[in-house]
Amino acid sequence: MNLETPMPAVGRSRWTGLGAFIGTELRVQLHEGLAIATSIVVQAVFLVFVAVLAQGYLPFTLVGAIVFSVFTIGQRIQNEAAWIRIDHKLHELYHASPMTPGAYFLGLSVGVLLAYVGPILVLVAAAVYFIAFTAAAALVLVAVLAAEFIFTASVGYMISTWFRDMRSIWPYSTLFFNLFGVLPPVFYPLGLFPVSLQPVALLLPTSGGTALAERAAGILPLTTGEILLASISLVVSTGAAFIGAVYWARRISRER
Amino acid sequence: MTPDALRADSVRKTYRGRSGPAIEALTGVSLRLSRAERVALLGRNGAGKTTFLRIASTLLAPTSGEVEIFGHDAIADPESVRPYLAVVPQEGKPFMHLTPREQAYTYLRARGFTRETSKSRTEHALEQMGLTEVADRLSITLSGGQRQRTMVATVISTEAPLLFLDEPTIGMDPFARRSVWDSFRELTRKGSTILLTTHYLDEAEALSQRLYIIDRGRLLAEGTADDMKRSVGGTLRVSVAPGNGVAEQLATFGPLVRDGDTVHVITSPGRIQEILQLAAHSNLTASVGPVTLEEAFLRVVGRSINDES
Ligand SMILES: Nc1ncnc2c1ncn2[C@@H]1O[C@H](COP(=O)(O)OP(=O)(O)O)[C@@H](O)[C@H]1O
Ligand SMILES: [Mg+2]
Repeated sequence: MNLETPMPAVGRSRWTGLGAFIGTELRVQLHEGLAIATSIVVQAVFLVFVAVLAQGYLPFTLVGAIVFSVFTIGQRIQNEAAWIRIDHKLHELYHASPMTPGAYFLGLSVGVLLAYVGPILVLVAAAVYFIAFTAAAALVLVAVLAAEFIFTASVGYMISTWFRDMRSIWPYSTLFFNLFGVLPPVFYPLGLFPVSLQPVALLLPTSGGTALAERAAGILPLTTGEILLASISLVVSTGAAFIGAVYWARRISRER
Repeated sequence: MTPDALRADSVRKTYRGRSGPAIEALTGVSLRLSRAERVALLGRNGAGKTTFLRIASTLLAPTSGEVEIFGHDAIADPESVRPYLAVVPQEGKPFMHLTPREQAYTYLRARGFTRETSKSRTEHALEQMGLTEVADRLSITLSGGQRQRTMVATVISTEAPLLFLDEPTIGMDPFARRSVWDSFRELTRKGSTILLTTHYLDEAEALSQRLYIIDRGRLLAEGTADDMKRSVGGTLRVSVAPGNGVAEQLATFGPLVRDGDTVHVITSPGRIQEILQLAAHSNLTASVGPVTLEEAFLRVVGRSINDES
């Protein structure tokens, strides 16, 4: 570095400002109390349906509801990132600054997660109580949810950068989140999915993660092969999505 | 030799839309800002101001050209220069669910400043922008001008070495604009360099030590406001409207600058009487005033800055 160059007022690391930006986003999100409170309405309705129609499947629907809740946070991250960029142009303040684009993406994501984690914890408490999770099973559930969050935040953030206006995002986002979150065996057991398609379900982060959590809770039998398939796929897709999102965040921070 | 704060060389930008023709927004822009300089980029809507500012501030890739910031290659390695920068984007808005105080403070914290520094700088910027009274109201309850002041307060509180402000005073009342100007002067006194865009002639004149006139993607003139006014060729202007019918006679008194139906004659004090008589003779209205940046702009660009066509 040229000695004549004025040094920036502060040092900078890859995660400079991360904590502060998480706080910013959390503070912004907490004003949406109603949105937070209603964020699990669909899941609750599904639970009621299943309780009426097929009570025996209720534990599956409960675990699925938790995974789905975490998964839909990606959609909120996507909307928030797109809104900040398209409507507010605030991302330019953060990109032209010591904060890295990766820290921006992660800060926004974790901020949204913290805002929406409350209702999810209610579902988790219900699951732990009704399904009698062991400590090990609870650990698996937390790991699955962590992976789910990283995956969905990464994909949500990437989708948010692909469009120039909010309305053109919605159809794609609806499609993506329903195809991955509702259609495959998330709210219902893997066994009810067509046998030939079950490996595909295990490969998807949503239904695969759900199956792993249900297996750990002792409500879904899985072969060792199936466990391996779902675990490896979850780790690989999560890792790839995260690395992809950090790379993409950096690249898109200077538009073409 | 210390490197310039900003050096742009032959910056070109062609927007290639998926539909519609390619748009050449910049056709080779070269400029230089020394340290602690305040420079305005003056131009009509669509001239290319925002495009240039976004390229210079690493937020948009040029089609070709070079940009150096404090001697660093900002095109090859944008992230290395970003810590030096702060940007007020065109038509940006603060977070609707933060107060101006929270907006500025959390932004400074995100840039890595300590709590104490963030707090004192926030208070100073809020005061400068006249936001103290609304500092604890959510931005969603503020007027457009107050939101814009919040954006400016947030960004100037960084005291970044190089600041880019895209039409920073848009939507503000004259009083607020003056406080923005004052705060910019303070920033350059402390050593920051400022590049701003504007389509307000008075702002460009009051604020910048030097200005560039940009039109259709190229720089047409560079200099101080006084330089530009001098280049018009006289000190006084007589405006005759509608003047096209007598343009030929008017041209004998000095250079003409046209603005729609109005013809401005740039002339010297001794000849004013004759021009006024000529106008009165033809039943035309005429007014006399000093040469302003408006005539300089008209002469350089060929159209008024307010002409929407
Ligand atoms: N994203 C874009 N895609 C296509 N054309 C654009 C885009 N942004 C700006 N332009 C065009 O580039 C030209 C310069 O625009 P801009 O830099 O915004 O001008 P100014 O800021 O001076 O008003 C205009 O003709 C504008 O329509
Ligand atoms: Mg503009």
